[in-house]
Amino acid sequence: MKEIAIIGVGIHKFGRFGDKPYTEIGREAARIALKDADIAWRDIQAAYVAEMYLPATSGARILAPLGRTGIPICDVEAACASGGVALRQAIIGIQSGAFDNALVLGVEKMTRGFMDPSMLYEKWQILMGLSTNPSYWAMKARRHMEEYGTTDLQIAKVAYKNHKNSVHNPYAMYQKEFTIEEILKSPMVCDPIHLLEICAPNEGAAAVVLCTKEKARQYTNKPIMVSSCVHTIAQYSADFRVPNESLSTKIDNPGPTEVAGKKAFAEAGIGPEDIDIAEVQDTDAFCEIEVYEQLGFCQPGEGGRLVDDGVTEIGGRIPVNVSGGLICKGEPVGASHLGQIFEIVLQLRGEAGARQVANCKVGLAHVIGAGGNCAVTILRK
Amino acid sequence: MDEMKQRNRIGVRDDIFTTPFYPSEKVRLKGSKCRVCGEVFLGKHLSCGNCANENMEEIILGKRGKLWTYTIIRNRPPGDYKGPDPFVPFAEGLIELPEGIRLLSPLTDCDVENLKIGTEWQLLVDILYVDDGGNEVMSFKFKPV
Repeated sequence: MKEIAIIGVGIHKFGRFGDKPYTEIGREAARIALKDADIAWRDIQAAYVAEMYLPATSGARILAPLGRTGIPICDVEAACASGGVALRQAIIGIQSGAFDNALVLGVEKMTRGFMDPSMLYEKWQILMGLSTNPSYWAMKARRHMEEYGTTDLQIAKVAYKNHKNSVHNPYAMYQKEFTIEEILKSPMVCDPIHLLEICAPNEGAAAVVLCTKEKARQYTNKPIMVSSCVHTIAQYSADFRVPNESLSTKIDNPGPTEVAGKKAFAEAGIGPEDIDIAEVQDTDAFCEIEVYEQLGFCQPGEGGRLVDDGVTEIGGRIPVNVSGGLICKGEPVGASHLGQIFEIVLQLRGEAGARQVANCKVGLAHVIGAGGNCAVTILRK
Repeated sequence: MDEMKQRNRIGVRDDIFTTPFYPSEKVRLKGSKCRVCGEVFLGKHLSCGNCANENMEEIILGKRGKLWTYTIIRNRPPGDYKGPDPFVPFAEGLIELPEGIRLLSPLTDCDVENLKIGTEWQLLVDILYVDDGGNEVMSFKFKPV
């Protein structure tokens, strides 16, 4: 299989930008990535654009003004995993020989507050009030606390870590440190999850330029290699998540993060112990604890202790969400995974400034969302 | 009973309730069971989500179960929620029924600040709202035993 390199990355800050249209937000990230790769738009052979809440053919509307070169531009949607799926489609296309390079862009512009429930739920679920996304995360957290003794304090510590990290990330929406007490005293959204432990839907974009390993050196002396990029959707009763109406008491399939993680590690020929840095889904702080366990950073039930031991802080054995994570960056759904890739690429290049993790050689990015859509990407120097 | 005074009743979802809707105490939840692997689902399913076979039978779900997990909805859910206005915080949870299914349901008639996993709950079918055609739209909740 052809090896794929990332030769350029770009980002548009995550946040809220008033009337600025998604087309401009996306185009800015794309232009930065093209410049970073030192490749001209006219030389790009295909583009994949991840988004969830945007109009028809958003990708072409964003990118055609760069020049109507006639290349295929495909919009990709897989809820919170959209960016990972777009990246994977581009990789498959290059590996197939259909094209030698591709631009992958994730972009979103969302309204403040809860997401439009009709995108995710059946009408009866909305009428009955079963359409609050964080309630699903909260019920998983409550069950984990019951089974393993995970505490409110451990969940708050994840949010504390990510808020602390965000101070050094100029691309994050919130760049402010909070005390544990402030986090635990912030309004309860869905028990046991507090406002400062949850991410906000927002706006932003991130882009990467890919090509074959052989061609990468034509453009850059600092290519980052894609070791693996996996997408999966939860098997039956493997995961309780929006918009599930039930779970089985008998079937206990491995969760999508576990499935995608194992496959990504196998394809990369490494294990969780080889990861130097990870950016993972922290739409709520508990989710990050669950992901530690499902990716194999620790045993099931030990995620809370991993936090207590500081393993995932900057300076710990596996720093997680040094960007501040989605809790601080916000979650522009289509852009979130590519924003993670942007962060990992900077870290692997040693260009992450004040939040640089030392000796960073292998990084992992993970997203999971509605319908059990999950993507895991592993990158290396 | 004066039938003329009874409003027409319909389900919030048309495949999950036994009929008639009068009296509501006798209404039960319907499910589907796979004749191949035995997995159980809410409402009518033509294929089994577990084994993908198309060999399903209709069953009536038990009306009592245990709370498996829960949360409290502190803000009005987004969209056309038909609960009380002004909004009243409410609990929702997964109720484990004897048929091997954990069903997501609003919880009612309880102190939301003192919920406990493992407690016993029972089905309550009642009116969610009256639609523009004058129909009483019925939904389900669970209340403490």
